[in-house]
Amino acid sequence: MKQHYSEADLLETYYTQPGDSMPVMMHLAECGECASRYERLEKKVRGLTACEHEKPETFWARQRISIMRRVEGRRSVPVMRYAAAAVLTLMLGGLVTWKEASKPPSLPASEGPTVTAAMEYEQPSMSSDPWQSEELKDYQPVVAWESWVDAETKSGDHS
Amino acid sequence: MAAFRLNDPGSAPTDRELIDRTLAGDGNAYGTIVERFQRRIYRVAFAIVRDEVEADTVTQDTFVQAYTHLARFQGRSELETWLTRIAINRSRDALRRRKFVSLFTRDEDDVETMIEPVDDRPDPERQILSVQLRAAILRAEKLLSSQQKVIFRLRHYENLSLEEIAEHLGLRAGTVRAHLFRAIHKVRRELAAWRSQGGSDEAALQ
Repeated sequence: MKQHYSEADLLETYYTQPGDSMPVMMHLAECGECASRYERLEKKVRGLTACEHEKPETFWARQRISIMRRVEGRRSVPVMRYAAAAVLTLMLGGLVTWKEASKPPSLPASEGPTVTAAMEYEQPSMSSDPWQSEELKDYQPVVAWESWVDAETKSGDHS
Repeated sequence: MAAFRLNDPGSAPTDRELIDRTLAGDGNAYGTIVERFQRRIYRVAFAIVRDEVEADTVTQDTFVQAYTHLARFQGRSELETWLTRIAINRSRDALRRRKFVSLFTRDEDDVETMIEPVDDRPDPERQILSVQLRAAILRAEKLLSSQQKVIFRLRHYENLSLEEIAEHLGLRAGTVRAHLFRAIHKVRRELAAWRSQGGSDEAALQ
């Protein structure tokens, strides 16, 4: 049966959760000598860690400013990226357009007439007045007369 | 650059409100988040890396990383827990980097060993800080694995419960307890070694 606990035992009790070391805690409740030893140990260990973070307010302010500067930098990075991408796209687009514009029209001679003919075939030239075309020009006077008759009728000249 | 207002004494918005406002583009809201948690995050970082400059860097990196991924924060845990988890991961990265660098330089803990002499001269400050106990802890820490070191330091310096440590590290409480036991046994061995050199437990604890 253990009479008293050593400091090493108490150290273990201190670091592990004291409530878990029931035999030790029960002993401490009964033994004043061990209890004072534990109290002293606790005080000393706390003393080791105390006052380590007593920093002046200027330290925390400087740290905050530093953090916010970096955060601000992070925030502006995507904007800068988008801007850079847009500028690059514009430059590339401009370059391609300029290249195309400065390129001389160099269609092969053999294909020129073929293409033109095909275009003429597909899109026959239309005059502004269809009645002037080759197919309809013979009917044009008839149409003109009918239009004239119709106009006379519409004008209300029934005399 | 926008000027950030860091204090808003008139109201105390919730973390969720601050997150929503930050996501909507309100830089002041994130400033408030930083102000609310920077001390806590610094403490956790310092507990693990044991270096002020490095802890400052870890704290800053934590908040920048959190800002970048804020939209992904689901709110399943507290914002503080989420930030602490990021800080712990960052601190572990810092420890790994330090270990890697130490392969090419002198021992990383050389500086620490300089503050561990057993000094019999009356020195109230040293008595208050309990140099022997501190030295034993520092010596023991050198023997710990990376995981044990993080767990022990969070328990020792931050006084986090086993459940809190488990939550932050994504481990089971039993695993954390096992790691902690191993770490404490190493501290005990270091104290015993010091005792065998003529010291006494009481001296170490006074």
